[in-house]
Amino acid sequence: MSNLIEVRNLGKTYRKATGLFKHKEIIALQQVSFTLQAGETLAVVGENGSGKSTLAKLLVGIEQADQGEIFYAGNQINFSEYRKTNQFIRYIFQDAARSLNPNQKIAEILHAVLRYSTVLSFEQREQKISQTLRLLGLLNEHANYYPHMFSGGQLQRVALARALILDPKVLILDEALTALDPSLRAQIVNLLLELQQKTDIAYLLITNQLRLVRHIADQTMVLHQGKCLDYGATTQIFTNPQHEFSRKLINSVQY
Amino acid sequence: MQLLDIRNLTLELETPDGIVRAVDRVNLSLKEGEVRGLVGESGSGKSLIAKAIMGVLHQRWHISADRFSWCGEDLLRLPYQRQREIISRDIAMIYQEPSRSMDPTALIGEQLAESIPDHRLEGVSWWQKGYFRRKKAINLLHKVGIKDHQSVLNSYPYQLSEGVCQKISIAMAIAKDPKLLIADEPTTALESTTQAQLFRLLASFNQLKGTSILLISHELETVAKNTDTLSVLYCGQLVEAGETADLLKNPRHPYTDALIRSVPEFQPELGFKQQLYALQGSIPTLQHLPIGCRLGPRCPNARKECVKTPQLERQQNHFYSCHFPILRTSAHE
Amino acid sequence: MKKLRLYYEEYNKKPYQLLWRHFVTQHFALLGLVILIVLLLLAVISPFVGPHDPYLQNSELLLLPPSWQGNGLVAYPFGTDDLGRDLMSRLMLGASYSFGLALLTVCGAMFIGLLLGILAGMTRGVQSSIFNHLLDLALTIPSLLLAIVIVAILGPGLLNTIWAIMLALLPQFIHGVGNAIQQQLKQDYVIAYRLDGANNWQILWSVVLPNLWEPLSLLFTMALSTAILDIAALGFLGLGAQAPTPEWGSMVADALDSIYLAPWTVALPGLLIFITVLSVNLVGDGLRTAMKKRREN
Repeated sequence: MSNLIEVRNLGKTYRKATGLFKHKEIIALQQVSFTLQAGETLAVVGENGSGKSTLAKLLVGIEQADQGEIFYAGNQINFSEYRKTNQFIRYIFQDAARSLNPNQKIAEILHAVLRYSTVLSFEQREQKISQTLRLLGLLNEHANYYPHMFSGGQLQRVALARALILDPKVLILDEALTALDPSLRAQIVNLLLELQQKTDIAYLLITNQLRLVRHIADQTMVLHQGKCLDYGATTQIFTNPQHEFSRKLINSVQY
Repeated sequence: MQLLDIRNLTLELETPDGIVRAVDRVNLSLKEGEVRGLVGESGSGKSLIAKAIMGVLHQRWHISADRFSWCGEDLLRLPYQRQREIISRDIAMIYQEPSRSMDPTALIGEQLAESIPDHRLEGVSWWQKGYFRRKKAINLLHKVGIKDHQSVLNSYPYQLSEGVCQKISIAMAIAKDPKLLIADEPTTALESTTQAQLFRLLASFNQLKGTSILLISHELETVAKNTDTLSVLYCGQLVEAGETADLLKNPRHPYTDALIRSVPEFQPELGFKQQLYALQGSIPTLQHLPIGCRLGPRCPNARKECVKTPQLERQQNHFYSCHFPILRTSAHE
Repeated sequence: MKKLRLYYEEYNKKPYQLLWRHFVTQHFALLGLVILIVLLLLAVISPFVGPHDPYLQNSELLLLPPSWQGNGLVAYPFGTDDLGRDLMSRLMLGASYSFGLALLTVCGAMFIGLLLGILAGMTRGVQSSIFNHLLDLALTIPSLLLAIVIVAILGPGLLNTIWAIMLALLPQFIHGVGNAIQQQLKQDYVIAYRLDGANNWQILWSVVLPNLWEPLSLLFTMALSTAILDIAALGFLGLGAQAPTPEWGSMVADALDSIYLAPWTVALPGLLIFITVLSVNLVGDGLRTAMKKRREN
């Protein structure tokens, strides 16, 4: 099976100005490589500042990589063309409430997404919107609501609707499940699993919740200070972590 | 000895749309040396109960209870000054985001020294008080596991990581040697490695000093491994309470059952990438609380009788309030 | 205060309806708004309504006291000034100068400030930095002083006062709008829009501008109170409205000579200036509190 995403030796360095003419270089990511197949879930774990969020931002195009290559279905894509790449890969923010414009109805937001990136007519867009809302367990009436009328869990579903409405092949969840209550998290995890079974979508899950990782991730990657310490099948990593840090991380789950 | 004994605590708030009962007749009791967990999702009122115990609830809330006693003294009947005296002497609390609960404009050393109560420094002449305060502060930092006290004492809260800040707030809490330590979601903002350290620290205080701990969390997994007894709340109603091991093995209330089953770890038979058990629907908002048993609309066992709030029933130290509890006998019995 | 609901229905309140609901609960702010609406009406219709001609001098009725005093006449409710002109008509016409012109000035400043502010907010890098630093220089000078300097260059007169105050208020608007836009651009939903495929113009139009009304309305009320005071101050100093224009500030200055004989000629215009500025500030304060409450909910 060909790789949906292939990443080779990805690196990113940030330059922070520490004085009038001096700069400090912060290496956010170094020599990170992995592959992702369709219908698979890759979990990226690590502490704060380990580079997980940077990796997510590089993959979706919010930031540009300094070194390394990213291949999508065998081709290298230029990221300034969001309109082309977002049919392939989409991103879910950690805080759903902050990622939605508070002054726009959901219908307008979703219409805007389709208008920018596709050439569907108005009726086709309406149909796609109601289809997507139904898929995520929301009602058609919800399209006329403003974001402040939704509860936390429903907002995450709205964010998912916005991401999935373009039928992407890869979905990046940047700590998207961390702030949810356990019962809500279980519902959304079920939704994601169902979606993966039906459409073979691949997930890149950035999280620190190792129990969840053990349940839904096929592969796991442990990042520490920008370097990839461990990468492989989840069961392997959990039973046989290679690095000291990964071992500490896995053991902290069993306390 | 019974430290905290709360019966039928009700917290009500007046809103333009009527009176809202955020906490509905909750019982809570704590013995000396006990580690109790309080599990509830958002909207369950657990933080409100913690604030009510500490006496820091906003004026708008109406507190009423049949019994609200600390070490035998009824706190609600005492004058406000006496309440504050008792609470400040015996109860301490640590919060969810530690760096935000500390004064951002004061050095850690100053805040720590300030939190040491005067009666710990009795017998010390006034010109030596400052020196002894500082020595005690360094002592406290060592107790919570911070070896490098010099740099920590001279930093501001924003310069330190959340884990270190949480340890400092625990140090500030134990400075007065409290009988009860309330921990309101202490590990949500921390890394998983630091979480383990923190729980070990709390356990050591419980064992060595006999401090009771009330651990509040919305994750069942964290609470399950670190507590002796457990109370489960849903939307301000006490759903189940009892010993942790017993609760996990034989949950009587459908909500506890759902919580347990939504954690993959408690179910070894659940296959990889199988659907987790989840209750349908979502948590009702304060304005739209259901009458009677508040789990009613979502409960798989709900029937007509559930519009009446169920009474708390007891079975050998295991309390639950449900009209149709789950009474399955486990294989071990 | 429970609303009667016959059946249960969820209201789809738009964000500005929520804002209005929070605004209305503050009674002082509502009072201020009512006063402002009355003043606005006065400013618009006063040239056509009014008991007498504001410019008509009546040498027989100089310094007539207001009608509630012993020797006042009902025909002249607020009395007359030292040239025999009816004070009430002058005060009503003055509303269109002191308040109406202030409103127009601030609208003009807001419009230009919006355009330049968008430029300041959307650009980044060295050019924006230079622009912002120049703006900071302009902000350090108090607006009244700036207005006086500009009027000194252009010459006295009401029209020049308007230009002067517009220019003096411009830096505040540019700075405020630029800051607000910068803050908007940092939000997550702007990144989300970029990921959805919007380009800069679409982001500006659909995301940034609708969210700009809040900070803009706050800036507007602050600038309005400054503008009213500045027009009155310049009129008082003799640099603004020239006689016989019935602008409240210049009316105070003209009547200052006869303050012991006829204190009402000084007090009444001054009182009106006070009420106007107070109402604007009450409304601004009410708006700010309503926005805070809405955000907390």
